[in-house]
Amino acid sequence: MYKLKLIIRYLLRRHLTHFAVLAVALCVFIVVVVMTVMTGLVQGFKEKNHEFVGDCVVGTESLVGFPYYEEFVERLEQTDLIAAASPVVKGYGLQDAEGRETPVEVMGVDPVRHSRATNFAQVLHYRASEPARAFQPAYAPEAPGCVRGIDLALGRNASSEYLYHAQPEQTPVNLTCFPLNARGALALAGTWPVRTQKFFHSDYARTGIAAVDGSLVYIPLEQAQLLCTAGTLKRVTAIHIKFQPGTDLARGCDRVTQLWQQFRQEKSDAPSAYLLETVKVESWKGYRRAFIAPMEKEQVLLSFMFVLVGGTTVFIVFVVFYMLIAHKRKDIGVLKSMGTSQVGIMALFSGFAFAVGLLGSVVGVSGGYLFLARINGIEDWLFERFGFQLWDRTIYAIGDIPHQVDVKVVFVIVGSAIAACLLGAAVPSYLAARLRPVETLHVGQV
Amino acid sequence: MLKFFFWLKYLCKWRVVLLSVAAVALSVSLLIVVASLFTGFIEAVQGGAVDVVGDVVLAAPAAIERYPDFIERLEETELVTAATGTLSAQGLLHAGKGNVHGVTVWGIEPDRRARVTHLKSTLLRQATAAQAPCFDVPGAAAETGGFVGIGIVADPDETTDEYDREAVLAEMIGQRVFVTTGTIVEAQNADGTPKRKLIPFTIADIVYAGVYEFDEGFVYVPIKVLQEALYPRREGDLATSISIKLASGVDPQQAVAQIRGLWRVFAGEELGWDAYRIAVTEVITARQMQAQYVVELRKQMGVLLLIFGVISFSVVVLVFCIFYMIVKLKQKDVAILKSCGVGGFSVAWIFLGFGTVVGLAGAGIGTVLGYVITRNINTVEEWIRIALGLKLWQSSVYMFSRIPNQVDWASALPIVALAVAAASLGALLPAILAAWTKPVQILRYE
Repeated sequence: MYKLKLIIRYLLRRHLTHFAVLAVALCVFIVVVVMTVMTGLVQGFKEKNHEFVGDCVVGTESLVGFPYYEEFVERLEQTDLIAAASPVVKGYGLQDAEGRETPVEVMGVDPVRHSRATNFAQVLHYRASEPARAFQPAYAPEAPGCVRGIDLALGRNASSEYLYHAQPEQTPVNLTCFPLNARGALALAGTWPVRTQKFFHSDYARTGIAAVDGSLVYIPLEQAQLLCTAGTLKRVTAIHIKFQPGTDLARGCDRVTQLWQQFRQEKSDAPSAYLLETVKVESWKGYRRAFIAPMEKEQVLLSFMFVLVGGTTVFIVFVVFYMLIAHKRKDIGVLKSMGTSQVGIMALFSGFAFAVGLLGSVVGVSGGYLFLARINGIEDWLFERFGFQLWDRTIYAIGDIPHQVDVKVVFVIVGSAIAACLLGAAVPSYLAARLRPVETLHVGQV
Repeated sequence: MLKFFFWLKYLCKWRVVLLSVAAVALSVSLLIVVASLFTGFIEAVQGGAVDVVGDVVLAAPAAIERYPDFIERLEETELVTAATGTLSAQGLLHAGKGNVHGVTVWGIEPDRRARVTHLKSTLLRQATAAQAPCFDVPGAAAETGGFVGIGIVADPDETTDEYDREAVLAEMIGQRVFVTTGTIVEAQNADGTPKRKLIPFTIADIVYAGVYEFDEGFVYVPIKVLQEALYPRREGDLATSISIKLASGVDPQQAVAQIRGLWRVFAGEELGWDAYRIAVTEVITARQMQAQYVVELRKQMGVLLLIFGVISFSVVVLVFCIFYMIVKLKQKDVAILKSCGVGGFSVAWIFLGFGTVVGLAGAGIGTVLGYVITRNINTVEEWIRIALGLKLWQSSVYMFSRIPNQVDWASALPIVALAVAAASLGALLPAILAAWTKPVQILRYE
């Protein structure tokens, strides 16, 4: 009980400890704000990637693709774990629209199946509620439609809003591709190795992933197979899979891997079976690793830099406690002469360090929470007043600045702040515990 | 002299002062490293543009006829060392089995281009050749040669992010590839779809500029070959842009104004262009081309420096705590000094000067540390990769193969000055308290 009373007394009476609290609060505030925004951006990006590809992907990096996919999809759909599977053809093409040529990524999908396996329906603008008609232009339902990444067709204003039209623009889109045979060579070599197909813009796709929205054109699966592949056996480059709700990701991917290995074994003597060798089964995290990993690395790097700079807080706590203990030698001598052990003294000052860390963290987290709740309003005000925007929305595909405080992140930050205070107070507490009453209470001292 | 004596005594006796030196050093080094890396990256972006497109670019809304005549006029002035024409188009490349890429196709004159840009040094095969670079294919003089970016035909090692240049050269030189720019030829395909013009060429060299965008997405062919594909019915020499190398010592902005004047005369009198087309022709420095992106980078740099600067402000608190402790514990010393006739200002200056010295020492150590880390940042990154298996810097994410490692002294000096000021500020209040010490109260015998 006396420890608690002493801690409260030191906190209230020793003004120097307020500086330690202030330093902790300042560090915690900055780290909470920055890590919340960073974590929000990284989490948001991961979620968008997850929704874009589904839970698991069976695919090859080769543009040649692999055959016998329909049989495997049937097998997948009979499995309890699998909610939906969507075969997809991916390739590269040259888009000729609105008077200019643009290299694009072409993705051939069955819109209904793809909507079940991924968030395809949700990314559409005009046909979100009826993905089956995604490739039917409203102005020409019989014409072959294509869904273009929104940044291919529209610009963004400073509020990150797109200037949509009431109806899809009547834009013809010529797509030119190199159809590849099963060996990856030009299928039409000897004749004309380039194939062109005319489509009509039917909808926009806004995935929220800048690299996708600026380069992807969706077309019907069969059309993509005609444009990008050739040969007697139809091929796809990937199968996107969604698991049943509640399925563990690792377990689901393991099951799909087993199924695939079994299927490959069965098809080992089939024509073009060598194409099945290049196929891998990956979770969405592994499949999109190249895009997600850089952001995660930056988050780790930023955390490391904050740890370095936060070392100053450790120094401050050390100095404050060193001073406090230097002033409180007599008090410590009295406590020890009354029977308080060394451990008790250490516990007293460690408890005080804990209190400083906790109080500073509470102040810092509260300040951070209040700031984050208003961060978008502050940015809007800065933009209106000074033309300053933290991220130029015409360049960066960011909407509102993330401001949802993640409880786990806060706990880690608060824990680290308290640990830093305990670390800073460790040596002074130890020195205090080693003090001898006879030295501190000596008549000459008193 | 007295001051130096006290500074030395306190530094030797109060080792805790070294904490404040360490805190200042840590903060200064971190800020210098961050500022230098960002500034170096910005410089690399701007410098990279100059290396690839020259000092100034003239980009017209339509193909420039008789561009060699205009180049002749430019080279007659004292402003311009050399100039070269470029034809540009978007295309689709088939570079071997299963390798299809969207690319930007540049039609160039390699010998002239090498005088304007650093093209020669980026060619893997011809970098060290005595003669100017050319499109000649080794052992196949009759073939149309071309250059391709290394990222198009090879992937870097996942661990080291390095290309196996020897293997790429051995495999790809002499390889026949096809590129289509989407230009339609007169004859249609059998099914009535438009036939796209193909440009077959043989790889004569591989380009490795160390800039991801160019290495991953650019293909270079003879300007005449591309002109034949894009403008089959037009005679004469055509270019869509002219890259210009300025003479050394020429101010780019002045040069832009003069080049624009020359262009106005040439386009108006010799090409018969109307005022609108002349006006919308861009004459811009390579650095200005990156202006919008550079503004965003500088903004991010400012925000990051602000964040770390705010946290580093706790150095002021640390210095304050330490000096407050020294002043409180050395009150008798101060009182004796004052009773011997030392004035309040002199007493204050002892501590204020000491604070400044601490700031200078910390800033000095921090500058050295920041310099060493920045200059060896690539080695540090390599150590982290070997020790932790974590590749922090990848060209596909950060555009360049190497981390910029030049210290930005223009940013470092203000950081050092602010650090010294912060330390002095922290020592100010304790210095004032020391100056206000009343000897009679401190030295009174009780």
